[in-house]
Amino acid sequence: MFTLTNCLILGGVIFAIGAWGVIARRNVLIVLISIELMLNAVNLVFASFARMHAHTLAEPGNKYPGESGQIFALFIIAVAAAEAAVGLAIVITFFRNRETVDTRDMRQMRN
Amino acid sequence: MTDIAFTICAVFCVLSSILIVTQKNPVYSVVYMLPFFLAMTVIFVLLQATFLAAIQMIVYGGAILVVFLFVIMLINLKPDELKNDFSLWPWVLSWFAVGALGGIFVMFASHGVTAAMEQNFAAPTDTRSGIFGSIGSVAMPLFKEHMVPFELASILIVVAILGSVLLSKKRV
Repeated sequence: MFTLTNCLILGGVIFAIGAWGVIARRNVLIVLISIELMLNAVNLVFASFARMHAHTLAEPGNKYPGESGQIFALFIIAVAAAEAAVGLAIVITFFRNRETVDTRDMRQMRN
Repeated sequence: MTDIAFTICAVFCVLSSILIVTQKNPVYSVVYMLPFFLAMTVIFVLLQATFLAAIQMIVYGGAILVVFLFVIMLINLKPDELKNDFSLWPWVLSWFAVGALGGIFVMFASHGVTAAMEQNFAAPTDTRSGIFGSIGSVAMPLFKEHMVPFELASILIVVAILGSVLLSKKRV
């Protein structure tokens, strides 16, 4: 059934899979991809709540119509694009210096 | 009809996201991102977030996916680096991910599922001026109430471009 509950459960499942990927993987590229998964799950939840409030009208007195959730998801997409660009630049720089993308080797700032 | 489409897309999303995080080679992960984003876009369309679906397809499927693929081709990983990728002790930590998922179900169990949460999204939205989620009805509040965050997002992207160019330069 296509209800808010099932959309939230789907978002939670995808977020948990992404969180697992961030925690359990050692390849930085897959960690970055997992972060994208988590951001996408949040987008899904925002869009479902926006759909729930679809009857909230966009009239002059109402500052926050039903589309506010979708606008927030748009901002999340912008942040995700910026995050992917900067993160991949860091990965390239790290690979140029160390010839690896393993998180176990990222310890030069420890101590 | 919409229920069937949602179920198929949800199954696709979960399966492809599991495949994304379990692949040894990041190239296959990126390849499995494509069905994930496609299924997510279909869910957005079903949620009547049509403009968001278009942006999702353009930015994620068009830009982020290709950038990931570029970087993976660029850094040219050796096969022995792809082995032994799963760490041992985070297997314990990964139960936190399962716990986060369990927390959602606990929330549902404790607060209960209200009637508003069980309304079927397949039903059409009520009549109003402008179609819900279309580019016009998204743009009006975006450029009225959310003007300052919108400009801040553009500054963020400019800073991100400058930062990534500076970071990937050979000699700083």
